[in-house]
Amino acid sequence: MTVVFDSYVPGSSWLHRLDPRVKLWCTLLGLIWVFILPGLGWQILFLTAIHLLLLAAGIPWWKLGQLWRQMAILIVLILLLQPYVHPAGPQIFAWGPLRLTLGGVLEALRLALRAIGIAFVMGTLLYTTSQPALVRAIVRLGLPYAWGLTISLALRFLPAIQSLYRTVRDAQASRGWIAHENLVRRIRSDIPVLVAVMIGTLRMSDQLTLALAARGLETMKTRTIWRDLHMSSRDWAIAVTFTVGMLVFLWWRWTMP
Amino acid sequence: MIHLDDISFTYAARHRGEHTPEVLKGCTLHVEAGQALAVMGATGAGKSTLSYVLAGLAPRHTGGRLSGSVVISGHNVAETPPPIGSVGLLFQDAATQLFNTTVEDEIAWGLEAMGLPPGEIGERVRASLARFELEPDRRRPPWALSGGQQKRLALAALSAMRPRVLILDEPWGGLDPHGRSDVHAAIESLQAAGTTLVLMTLRVETAARIGTVATLHDGELSEPAAAVDLLADEAALIASGLYLPTSAWPGLGPVHPLQDGPPAIEIRSLEFHYPSESGDTKALHGIDLTIPPGQFVAVVGPNGAGKSTLVRHFNGLLRPTHGTVSVLGQPIGRRSTGEMARQIGFLFQRPEQQLFAPTVREEVAYGPTQLGMEKADDHVQQVLRRFGLETVADSPPALLGYGAQRTVTLAALAALSTPIVVLDEPTVGLDGHGLMQLLTWLSDLRASGVTIVLITHEMALAARADRVIALEAGRVVNDGPPATVLTEQLKGE
Repeated sequence: MTVVFDSYVPGSSWLHRLDPRVKLWCTLLGLIWVFILPGLGWQILFLTAIHLLLLAAGIPWWKLGQLWRQMAILIVLILLLQPYVHPAGPQIFAWGPLRLTLGGVLEALRLALRAIGIAFVMGTLLYTTSQPALVRAIVRLGLPYAWGLTISLALRFLPAIQSLYRTVRDAQASRGWIAHENLVRRIRSDIPVLVAVMIGTLRMSDQLTLALAARGLETMKTRTIWRDLHMSSRDWAIAVTFTVGMLVFLWWRWTMP
Repeated sequence: MIHLDDISFTYAARHRGEHTPEVLKGCTLHVEAGQALAVMGATGAGKSTLSYVLAGLAPRHTGGRLSGSVVISGHNVAETPPPIGSVGLLFQDAATQLFNTTVEDEIAWGLEAMGLPPGEIGERVRASLARFELEPDRRRPPWALSGGQQKRLALAALSAMRPRVLILDEPWGGLDPHGRSDVHAAIESLQAAGTTLVLMTLRVETAARIGTVATLHDGELSEPAAAVDLLADEAALIASGLYLPTSAWPGLGPVHPLQDGPPAIEIRSLEFHYPSESGDTKALHGIDLTIPPGQFVAVVGPNGAGKSTLVRHFNGLLRPTHGTVSVLGQPIGRRSTGEMARQIGFLFQRPEQQLFAPTVREEVAYGPTQLGMEKADDHVQQVLRRFGLETVADSPPALLGYGAQRTVTLAALAALSTPIVVLDEPTVGLDGHGLMQLLTWLSDLRASGVTIVLITHEMALAARADRVIALEAGRVVNDGPPATVLTEQLKGE
């Protein structure tokens, strides 16, 4: 079964060991940072820092390359289309109503780097935080346990549903199904597969209901947590440092001439 | 410990006016603390339903109507759910009951739900990991484990809660000999610890291991008896569809001498790498094979040996990383799996999951229609008749019982009328009737000179093939007549 929804890279770096609640907080700050960085230079500096941070945490090069590849189509689309949306500054060339300008190109670059920045900020969280730790953090931040369990179950069963789809498609192909060139016919041929997947998913959900009930979901007492999260002084220090850093940057950004 | 008195159960109708038969009819059963009982029943006999009733899940979570009384350690589970951790249930498909993202979290989940202090949870998790030999896999996701490991994990998660009663639904189903012995050892250790066990099975050899057996036939439960007494009446077991001794199997030997012509399947230097998170995982290591037309080949080997990966190359479901695959003298090249369906019929594992058509007739007709067969309607009608599916031809296959669904999948494969047939573990979950149906069809295929490649863990079936290929860790470790290869395999185990 392919697990495409779990990006976690096991490790024991300080980033891996950081309390997941602090990582969630720093992710939020990082996303704000991505949106307020003042120029291309700052954006490149920010991305370089994240790459170095991830490499230092033991995330392999190929994993970073994989994220770049996943973003490639979006980046190309932004770079191709955005320059014509907001033309500004000196014109590079014109073709009919389309004007390619230096300002438009720089704006497209800024947007593309912002998209990459968002992906890498999220990647830093997901590469270094296991799914159970993430769910535990969300619950400890106040989300009801049932919600945390739902997220956990979705993460667990999405790959199973994906695998079921592939199995049914393979079974159909083994009985003569050939992918149509025509998109409409292709979508139509997908309907029976989706029906089979839906039936399979409903069966899976019935079994899951029974499995949860059999392990005492409805009769459980006050739930305890085996490995509860505990903020260490280092976790606090990092949370405070990031927060102060963000406030200083905001002050500088808004008081900058 | 377990007291079932005059239990009857009926599932709710799916639509108004539908008549739903009683699945359990006046069942009475008493099992004392620390005892073990096997309940043996054919496919559709009501074993899973009985498990749900015993675990207090039916009708609370399944719908339906229950009458009679179910008392487990003094607690009427028909009225209120059993206290948390008192009754454990191992599902037939253990994978569906594992819902956490790591092995150790799976074991801890129930203990957290019991409200145990974290220190005790840690101790019980460690003890369970050690007892069920899962320590090296503690941080792996449950879905990445083999079938045998998943069953052991489900047992570990249940036993950590220290239930007084454990209900096991087909604990050995679909496992290779290693997996079976792993699970057997786990069950023995639970029995030794004094857990009361009720084990549902359709296999005579499983029931024999437990010692005391009750049979479930058409929803009626017999008095428990010593396994030796019950199993001595072979004729009754055969008649109830529970057992098909090899002496009653139809002939599977070659009817005609092997045909001339190009090999049915020819493989040269086949290597296959699965892409994985840590780079590529090599699943097949330079395999060379030639299967002549009309040969019956059994492929054996432990779970994860590469058996399914190998046969998936025959019809292009997988493409070689290196090497070539030819079918009937023609390299597969870029031909799609859909095109290969004219030459190779393929039965997957758990085929009942792959039913997608609105009616049985359309399900069986899907292949012939896709391949543009002449007189497809007449052909489909013949196949429906051959498999006794005429009466359910207009019913949705997804709503049929398990046994009937398996018949539909066989019929859908037969309708392709291909010169080569590949079957991936076709006997899993089959009772005596289902097995007889499969073997009779295989016998017909042999008579028509069809090439058969069959993956199986059933050594008795492999022994009937012309040739056995043993795989291990992606390599052919033995290839030859069954007597030679299977003797070597048994020595290895």
